[in-house]
Amino acid sequence: MPTAAPRVLVADDEDDIRALVGLAVRRAGCTVATQVADGTQALIAARTDPPDLAVLDVSMPGATGLEVCTALRADPATAAVPVLLLSAGATPEDVARGLAAGADAYLAKPFSVAGLVARVRELTAGATP
Amino acid sequence: MTVLEPAPAEELTRLRAENAALRAQMQHRDDELEVATRMLQARAQTMTSVIDAVTEQSIIGTDVDGVVRVWNPGAERMLGLPRADVVRTRSITDFHLPEELAEAGGGLAALVGTAQEQGSDVRDWTYVAADGTELTVSVAVTPRTDDRGVQAGWNFVGTDMTEARATERMKDQFVSLISHELRTPLTSILGYLELLLDDPELTDEQRQYLGTVERNAQRLLRLVGDLLFTAQVDAGRFTLQPEDVDLATVVRAAEETARVVAGATGVEVSVDVPDGGLVVHGDAVRLGQACDNLVSNAVKFTPTGGRVTLALRAAWRTPEGGVVEAPQDGAVPVARLAVSDTGIGIPAGEQSQLFARFFRASTARRHAVPGVGLGLAITRAIAAAHDGTLEVSSVEGEGTTFTLTLPV
Repeated sequence: MPTAAPRVLVADDEDDIRALVGLAVRRAGCTVATQVADGTQALIAARTDPPDLAVLDVSMPGATGLEVCTALRADPATAAVPVLLLSAGATPEDVARGLAAGADAYLAKPFSVAGLVARVRELTAGATP
Repeated sequence: MTVLEPAPAEELTRLRAENAALRAQMQHRDDELEVATRMLQARAQTMTSVIDAVTEQSIIGTDVDGVVRVWNPGAERMLGLPRADVVRTRSITDFHLPEELAEAGGGLAALVGTAQEQGSDVRDWTYVAADGTELTVSVAVTPRTDDRGVQAGWNFVGTDMTEARATERMKDQFVSLISHELRTPLTSILGYLELLLDDPELTDEQRQYLGTVERNAQRLLRLVGDLLFTAQVDAGRFTLQPEDVDLATVVRAAEETARVVAGATGVEVSVDVPDGGLVVHGDAVRLGQACDNLVSNAVKFTPTGGRVTLALRAAWRTPEGGVVEAPQDGAVPVARLAVSDTGIGIPAGEQSQLFARFFRASTARRHAVPGVGLGLAITRAIAAAHDGTLEVSSVEGEGTTFTLTLPV
């Protein structure tokens, strides 16, 4: 019986970047379970059907990626979902804020697609189908 | 019974002379007193007129309990109350935002604590004017003593910074907005380019075109990074992540980065670093950025056939600020990187402006060397943040040497 690919939630308000992240997710051998354009939708989607990984943009309408990450960590049903934050903020303080919100990884935009693929593989390595 | 005998004539003469001398002395003292009084009045008048002439800054003098004794026209204008309504009846604390004062410990002590300990204090406080307007004011606090040297009260000199601080905040917001708005499309451009360049079926010509697009997108990205970094330096939000960094490795890496461009333009780059390395305590990323800036500048400003030399040496900084090549009493060890080129040089009259943001030397403009004039300002800010220095020596038409000195 074939093993199902890890399922990834992608949230970014930029259509082009959401599509680019989707491509990277598929290159990493995963499937895009849900893609949304705002933080509130991301939170609803993650709570309704917890993914194996959430890739969240930090700057989104509704709720920021940091707020979504904090909310996921606070809910026992989603506390273990790995979170990868993407952000145009590239200062050490930005990264520290992301990690303090509970993110497992933080990639500053612009990121390399190869780098994103590697992080997605790494963060879904333990995902059980 | 005692009989008073008349004083002899010479005694009378002596007494009259003494009397006259005493009168003359008294007159002299009177005159001196009058002069001193006039001088004091003139001095007080000068002081009052100087204080009264200050209309753009508030000068508020209080007694030791904070009760207002001096209230200049600047204070009247800033806080909207005439002197007569304030002096001897109001406290300096009445004009502060209560929540802010409470957060700082409350009362007069919160305002004067640091000045009491250190002799003076300058910081932003929020004043509340008579009409309720809140003002961000940079207040300099100093203790005031009387003529016997006993503390008589406090002076508060305030400059209204409301507009300046609002402008700073707007500038900050603007830079982060621009940074975000430019980084986001650049993410798409660079990401999709990366995917395209992965295609093995691309022709060499297509690959070359895409390479040009990528190089220019990277250039734009560097500019965004430089602008953001400059804004952080301005806002005092530039922080270092210090660790032990081998500067020799950083210099070699900078040479490697510049090698491609140098090779393409026919500039020879040589590196001379200590075999055992040279460790400084600093931020590896920022030091790398500083070295990259110096080396890429040197390559950029050197014509074909020219030479760029990177020489890293241990040296010592003397207490007078000079740098010597051998240890001596009182001198502290430093690392010294000299980046020399045989390029177009910088006119002597322009060298002092070289580290100002957006300044471009006339030679750079004349030779159409690309750039916006941020690299050297950033490199000097990085050097300063490491307690180091960046100096230049240059002869137009012969070449330039930038020397980065960092404490080890």
